[in-house]
Amino acid sequence: MKTLILGLGNPIRGDDGVGIRVAEELRRQIKDEDIEVQEASVGGLGILDLIQGYDKVIIVDSIQTKDGQPGQIHRLKPSDLKSYIHTSWPHEVNLTTTLSLGDKLQLRMPKIINIYAVEIKDDITFAEECTPEISKVVPKVVHQILSEEFGPV
Amino acid sequence: MEEKAKRITISPITRLEGHGKIEIFLDQQGEVEDVYFQTVELRGFERFCRGRPVEEMARITTRFCGVCPWAHHLASAKCLDAVFKVEPPPAAKKLRELGYCAHYIHSHLAHIYALGGAPDFLIGPTAPPGERNLWGVIAKVGLDIGKVVIKHRYYVQKIQDIIGGKTIHPVFGLPGGNSHPITEEQRKEIEGMAKELLEFAKYTMNLVLDEIILKNKDYVDLITGDVYYHKTYYMGLVDKNGKVNFYDGEVKVIDPDGNEYCRFREDNYLEYIAEHVEPWSYLKFPYLKKIGWKGFVDGKDSSIYRVAPLARLNVADGMATPEAQAAYERMYDTLGGKPCHATLGMHWARVIENLYAAERLLELAQDPEITDKKVRVIPKETPGEGVGIVEAPRGTLIHHYWADENGMVLNANLIVATGHNNAAMHMSVKRAAQKLIHNFKVDQGLLNMVEMAFRSYDPCLACATHSLPGQMPLKVSIYDSERNLIKTLSRG
Repeated sequence: MKTLILGLGNPIRGDDGVGIRVAEELRRQIKDEDIEVQEASVGGLGILDLIQGYDKVIIVDSIQTKDGQPGQIHRLKPSDLKSYIHTSWPHEVNLTTTLSLGDKLQLRMPKIINIYAVEIKDDITFAEECTPEISKVVPKVVHQILSEEFGPV
Repeated sequence: MEEKAKRITISPITRLEGHGKIEIFLDQQGEVEDVYFQTVELRGFERFCRGRPVEEMARITTRFCGVCPWAHHLASAKCLDAVFKVEPPPAAKKLRELGYCAHYIHSHLAHIYALGGAPDFLIGPTAPPGERNLWGVIAKVGLDIGKVVIKHRYYVQKIQDIIGGKTIHPVFGLPGGNSHPITEEQRKEIEGMAKELLEFAKYTMNLVLDEIILKNKDYVDLITGDVYYHKTYYMGLVDKNGKVNFYDGEVKVIDPDGNEYCRFREDNYLEYIAEHVEPWSYLKFPYLKKIGWKGFVDGKDSSIYRVAPLARLNVADGMATPEAQAAYERMYDTLGGKPCHATLGMHWARVIENLYAAERLLELAQDPEITDKKVRVIPKETPGEGVGIVEAPRGTLIHHYWADENGMVLNANLIVATGHNNAAMHMSVKRAAQKLIHNFKVDQGLLNMVEMAFRSYDPCLACATHSLPGQMPLKVSIYDSERNLIKTLSRG
């Protein structure tokens, strides 16, 4: 199965880059030709350009939810984010809208999309590193992705 | 007061309230007294930059924003040319401009079809928010158009890739030029795509004109209506013939009557622009220095100016390409001459710029000099201070760096498009609030009106935060004269 691991985030905005850090670590550990790892600082329609043609896509991103605790890991399906379908961000359409657009336009969309979202603490301070609390979680996310998506490790 | 007890709160899904927070204070009669529009504070930028090799800035600053990495990259590359006192060869400048035209199309197409123009006007400004989005547009214009938009965005992505060296965040701009030339084969590939992009830009122009503007007789009334109407100064880059240019030229400012107020090059921007600070806002409010800060008021005596597509068209004498020039004339004929003060005219201006970007892209792709191998002059001078200015899709963007003699960053200052428009956006929000809140009663249309004002400015409130769910939560809180919260409206 042709698989893409897509780490999303901004590498100079502290915890916002957690998806990038996880992807970098996964690239080091995964040696399978069918699994590609990419990092990107895009949202919305930009994601559509990246995920077409894969059978399975694993997205790693940061999240901030109302009652979330920093470091919490959420494993989500795109349908978990459905409630956002009717809202719009001033610059880009959101992930759910993007994915449904791909389906609607009958693009070569992945059959499976799993999302790992890490609750973050600080994304408004310019820094190349995540905060210590979130850095600590990176190996955990890596381990969880490897075991849940690619069998026991 | 009964309203007080009836506090309505719709909690935002995320905690990122600071990304777009509006507080409205009412007087004793329940009319709007004051409005505060706040954005998130980004901390530690100067400290982050200090001590780094200055040439890294062109790569770092592309990360500010997931939407306009090209604008930051090119402002930074021009700034680095100045820091190292070196002039890039003609082919390097042309390639930068060519890639930038592709970026403009990428950005403007998303805005026209998915974000602002079509959703607000094709579907209608009074339609429920649930329909004023990409789905509503597709339902109206058909699924095939959606596919065509995606195809053309793919083309411009490809062009950006060829020129920029990397798909999303360009890395090609260096002090004195670019990292690589293009081959004849690549030129031909770009030319082929540019021809299709131009056809699509013409189609988009017609769609907007025929389907949106001419079929909706209320459109002109709405955009020239008083809520979004501000008589301000305007700022934008113009080329040597006074025409709109995204990459290079002089910064020109006109007054609200359309007369030239001033013109300046990069080095002199601090003579003309100063930044006002309000205790309640992290984002500063740039204003015209010589007039002085007069508060959040419009008019000729006030120093507030605006940037972005409509501002660029307002300051220029026209467009440098034929199709765009014709569209330009038609817009001003319809809207009653220059300058146009209607904020919602931004959408129309954006479609004209999209057409210009496509025409200019093709022109550059056919330029015999574009494949010239000489794309870099190696800097030999000791680095120092420099300023680079480009027009980002959403307005004038200024990068200013100070480097020591070893080329390490001492300091950096950026004025982004949303900063220039900050005071004007504040006025637009206030005016919408004044129009829709009376006697403690808040019209449900308030959030839509505020959103429409935002969308036409296309602001960057928190560049490059991609945290899920991937949108800007907007929260409006309304307080009575005793500072009690009486109502909260939010979308997030």
